[in-house]
Amino acid sequence: MATEGVETTSEDVPVPGKVSTRYDLEKETELRFEVEAGEAVEQVELELLTGMAEVFGSELNRNKKYTFGAGSKIAVFTWQGCSVNLYGKPEVAYVSKDTPMLLYLNTHAALEQMRKQAERDNERGPRVMVVGPTDVGKSTVCRLLLSYAVRVGRRPTLVELDVGQSGVSVPGTMSALCIERPADVEEGFSVQAPLVYHFGSTTPGTNIKLYNKLTSCLAEVFSQRCEVNRKASVGGCIINTCGWVKGSGYQALVHCASAFEVDVVLVLDHERLYNELKRDLPHFVRVVLLPKSGGVVERSKECRRDTRDEKIREYFYGFRGVTFYPFSYEVRFSDVRIYKIGAPSIPDSCLPLGMSQDDTQLKLVPVTPGRDLTYHVLSVSSAEDGEEGARKGIVESPVCGFIVVTNVDTQTQVMKVLSPAPRPLPRHTLLIMDIRFMDMK
Amino acid sequence: MADQNKTGTDAKFYNEILSPSELFAARSRSHKIPVRGQKDFFPDDSDEQRQRLEQSLTEHWSLISEERVEKLGNLVKATWVPSEKVVELQSPAGKFWQTMGFSAGGKQFLFPEEALYLMECGNVQVFYQELPLSIQDGYEKFLSSSTVRLQEYQVFGHLKRLGYVVLRFDPSSETSSYAKQLNLPQSHDRSGKQLKRKRSASPTTPSSHTEAQEESTADRMEEDTCSRESQEDKKYPESHRAISPKTSSTQTATASPEDGGGGTTWWMEDVVGERSDQQPASAASRWDFSSIFFPDLGASRELLSSCLASPHPSLLPGALAVGVCDVDPWRSRINLRDVKMSLKEQMREEEKRKRRSDINKNREVRNCRNWAEYRELMERREERRSKGRPAHLWDGEVTPLHDPRQPIPTGELLDKISVIKSTNLLEGASRLQASDEWRISFNVYQPDTVADFKKSNQGKPYARMCVCSFDGPVPDLRAIKQLAFRSGDVPVVFAVVDYGDISFYTFKDFQLPTDVFL
Repeated sequence: MATEGVETTSEDVPVPGKVSTRYDLEKETELRFEVEAGEAVEQVELELLTGMAEVFGSELNRNKKYTFGAGSKIAVFTWQGCSVNLYGKPEVAYVSKDTPMLLYLNTHAALEQMRKQAERDNERGPRVMVVGPTDVGKSTVCRLLLSYAVRVGRRPTLVELDVGQSGVSVPGTMSALCIERPADVEEGFSVQAPLVYHFGSTTPGTNIKLYNKLTSCLAEVFSQRCEVNRKASVGGCIINTCGWVKGSGYQALVHCASAFEVDVVLVLDHERLYNELKRDLPHFVRVVLLPKSGGVVERSKECRRDTRDEKIREYFYGFRGVTFYPFSYEVRFSDVRIYKIGAPSIPDSCLPLGMSQDDTQLKLVPVTPGRDLTYHVLSVSSAEDGEEGARKGIVESPVCGFIVVTNVDTQTQVMKVLSPAPRPLPRHTLLIMDIRFMDMK
Repeated sequence: MADQNKTGTDAKFYNEILSPSELFAARSRSHKIPVRGQKDFFPDDSDEQRQRLEQSLTEHWSLISEERVEKLGNLVKATWVPSEKVVELQSPAGKFWQTMGFSAGGKQFLFPEEALYLMECGNVQVFYQELPLSIQDGYEKFLSSSTVRLQEYQVFGHLKRLGYVVLRFDPSSETSSYAKQLNLPQSHDRSGKQLKRKRSASPTTPSSHTEAQEESTADRMEEDTCSRESQEDKKYPESHRAISPKTSSTQTATASPEDGGGGTTWWMEDVVGERSDQQPASAASRWDFSSIFFPDLGASRELLSSCLASPHPSLLPGALAVGVCDVDPWRSRINLRDVKMSLKEQMREEEKRKRRSDINKNREVRNCRNWAEYRELMERREERRSKGRPAHLWDGEVTPLHDPRQPIPTGELLDKISVIKSTNLLEGASRLQASDEWRISFNVYQPDTVADFKKSNQGKPYARMCVCSFDGPVPDLRAIKQLAFRSGDVPVVFAVVDYGDISFYTFKDFQLPTDVFL
């Protein structure tokens, strides 16, 4: 495998109606291409002809065609040099020599060194937090580092705190996922038994108190897992955060660092944040400033929304909407209890004396089912269906799945839901999200 | 008229039989009481004032000296019994019997004040030692401190003239305090509540005081250990410095990396600058970042060599072998994108940056080796911060009424900070020693109840009178409470006599409004 592939110009298999372009990459360069976003766009296929290459840390198989759909932004990197073929017409495609991959690789090497030490000393492995503003490639760096770690035989954990663009579950959630194999080139990490908490919104700012609380919850569960699973402990975790680095967002980062007891903080392309974290985190936390890759593209609001939508669709219908077949059935209002986390904030002057606003943010507010429930994503909480006494634990209970309300009939007191599993619902406590999903495709 | 002959002989001594013309004159006499007019406070030596006074005086004298003409038949005869201090009726009582007098041993009696009042009204003629008493005699004989004082009689007469039914107050007729407790659970409740409140409000200063002391000593001890540690710290850098040349020499020795067998030496290559980056005084953390190398672009130029050595292949996936990495071009590319901030935001950020200092400048933080220790420190600090209340407030004998660290309901807090406790008139009154200085003289019933009034079943009085004068002391709270307790649920009115004028005062319970309802 490691030997250099023979320079055989594989005879171009003519794909009907698709242009084929061949790129020869020198070592430590990357081919970046973007597929146009939008409906009915031609997909682009990638094939490795010779040499070795990787996409975000996952190696490509030779002579296998990888398909990338609309809106994909891909970088094919090679350490040793290779040649690839692109079928179809990408929006942009160019080769760049300017990649910070070597720096990222060095970072991985340092983390691996820490894991080795942890293994030797019977300690826990490095816990890494990746921070930075939006659109600097935080998720990509996470994926890269996780893939590298898995490839050297580690079992790291991905902690996804980016509620806007979750890489693990649907948006509006905070999750942790144990990584056991490198990310699939097309699909990303295989999502098996993730730990997901309901946050309910796409920005942590809507309920920062809840955000911090769930961060602590995740940290606690992860620590418990580390205690019983040696491999997970050595593998450590890589925490992906959201791009909010000012004010409360910054405080949330510091809180997260403290909750997870991080050892290394990777700051991507934000010198001010780097300096602030150096100042506000204790000296034993290594804060590292890394550049962002030149290939990172700024995503527009619409683009982010589309990605979110796609993520929810993927949850119900599987990757590219072909793998799963969700169920649709009716649920009686009387069978479920729907809550929203966080009462609407009211001015301090309206509160009774001696009450503080903080109390309301973690409060469960019952939601009366109505027509406005339509298209909302609901989390099915794994909290036991106890009586009122059990309400306390709902906020801190993980989620066992999601359903989307597709129709509400207030006359018969019934709503129609889209569910990944057939009826009945596993639990009857539902948490409402701000996020809506219209099943249009 | 039937026994006119018989009485006629007796009346010789004291009765003047009036001629018809005199009777007529007496009847058509003006019944007007002279107007008193405005009171003059200062003599201004003017003729006008003197005349006015004189006129007023003569009017009064003539009023007093006026002979009163009564119908013999209307007069009820009575005898003054000095030993009993009562007046015994000799002939059937008139209409006044409905509201006055009492019967004992088959005889009818009047109290002296009643007899005097009736004498003044011309209803009763009182004899003493077979001789009729004049009104002046009545005042002299009947009024004494053992019966009724003059002031009390003035109040009595005043109220009677206004139409009230006025009876002597009999302390023994009032229910005992025990009976009151049985009948009035409300008052019992009140006192119970009060007790409870008092207990909760009891100050806890002594204990908190000692706590503070303990804390301060603990602080001192901590200071001690800190200073000791700092001494140790000072030693540390020297030893550190002693090591560094050696490590640099080992680096040059191990130019080519070797697998596994080399132990830790193989990752020592990049150490040169990195070591001095560590703050020398900080405690060693678990990770020795001087040997674990991160390509930190934020580190200063001399610490991060411009050329990164290639990482060891054993650390890399797929046994990669990569070359060195030139860092320099990346430095200039950091943070090319502007941070979008409004001017106001920028100023705020700037302000914040100035205010906040590097937490790692603190020795205690540097002594922490891991998160557990750091968190412990933070907790300790938090605790200390909350305990570190201003010494000038808490260390003295007089401390604030409430410790803000202990949250309590607002109602309780308000209760706690109310220095002057609100009190109820009946509060604690049952425990007060009865004193003779103040006593209730009369029960007063309203005029409109006269028609239905029965002496045998008097019912609840409208008010009770306590007579005092403007010369005497003002009743103190103790007296007021005591009288209120004695009176029960009937209000006590203080009738204050200023010679001829009588003013009435009463004390009533009221609740200060509170804006918190619990």
